[in-house]
Amino acid sequence: MIGRHLSRLALARRPALASGVALAGLLILSTAQGGWAATAQEQLKGAIDRVVTTLESPALKGNGKVAERRSAVRKIANEIFDFGEIARRSLGRYWQPLSEAQRSEFVGLFGDLLERSYISKIELYGGEKIIYSGERMDGDLATVSTKIITKNGTEVPVDYRLFRRGENWMVYDVNVEGISLVSNYRTQFNKIIQTSGYNTLVDRMKTKQTEFLEGAAQKKKAQN
Amino acid sequence: MRRSALDLAVGVFVLLGILALGWLSVRLGKVDIFGGESYTVTADFPTTAGLKNGSSIEIAGVEIGRVTSIQLANYQARVVMSIRNGVKLTEDSIASIKTRGLIGEKFLQISPGGSERIIKPNGKITEVEPPIDLEELLSKYVFGKV
Repeated sequence: MIGRHLSRLALARRPALASGVALAGLLILSTAQGGWAATAQEQLKGAIDRVVTTLESPALKGNGKVAERRSAVRKIANEIFDFGEIARRSLGRYWQPLSEAQRSEFVGLFGDLLERSYISKIELYGGEKIIYSGERMDGDLATVSTKIITKNGTEVPVDYRLFRRGENWMVYDVNVEGISLVSNYRTQFNKIIQTSGYNTLVDRMKTKQTEFLEGAAQKKKAQN
Repeated sequence: MRRSALDLAVGVFVLLGILALGWLSVRLGKVDIFGGESYTVTADFPTTAGLKNGSSIEIAGVEIGRVTSIQLANYQARVVMSIRNGVKLTEDSIASIKTRGLIGEKFLQISPGGSERIIKPNGKITEVEPPIDLEELLSKYVFGKV
């Protein structure tokens, strides 16, 4: 139908003009989609798919391969999660007065905290389905909504908040059942800092990490 | 002359009565006249379940503003709020809808962040937490699905 209209406009008799219009159309389409960069949902889905593949890969299965599996998952996580940003937001107003050295120490400790809290749960992945239910954009921020369908049919809504850094979208918060990860840690960190001070918080995180590592080392010894 | 003096007295008395009533309603009815001493900020929630106009907005338990209106925008609930001047909200502040006790009225709590950027008047709080439906959550995780 459009062809008929176009030919009526005598474009058919002016091939140069027709191709010019086609080219302009293509250019407009490509800029409207922001070039060929992947959207937030595409990048997130890519990372999640890679984690699932890693967890299901037969080459990395079994208790003996725990360390390799975890380091593979950690590598992918670092590509899509901005742990520095998550740590900064979780400390809230107590981030500002910290020195550069303190800040990088905290980001490291926080990364350890997240890893020991969640990596064992991620390893329990047993083929649960992940549904992508929508993406909302707001300038340089995006929300990707997903649902995890557990084995007994429960739907767990998980929303990811991402910000754009150049071509890459990075996660800076995760909302599970409407509860924000940043908000949860911010409340707890604020309470500890207000009652006992920042140094107490750091010591506590260091102690927990050491205990965790010692526990894991003992487990490994027992297995061998 | 006496008649009009009496009328005048009655009139003044009635006027005083009305003024007193008006003052009482303002004080007890929680109608705030902070007018020009506040600025507007919005936040979009996937649902506001029970939050209403006039609901309190708090930071650390202290009231710093009121909800002025809740509108539907792009299938989300846009909450327009009036925040007292002098209360600065950082860009990474998180707005959550909470309930007083477990089954009380809903209010909006703001958790201040640490960003150097401050939300400008008529700006937006981008980080939000919707209200938690406790019953739904309990039934999901205690009983699972068929």
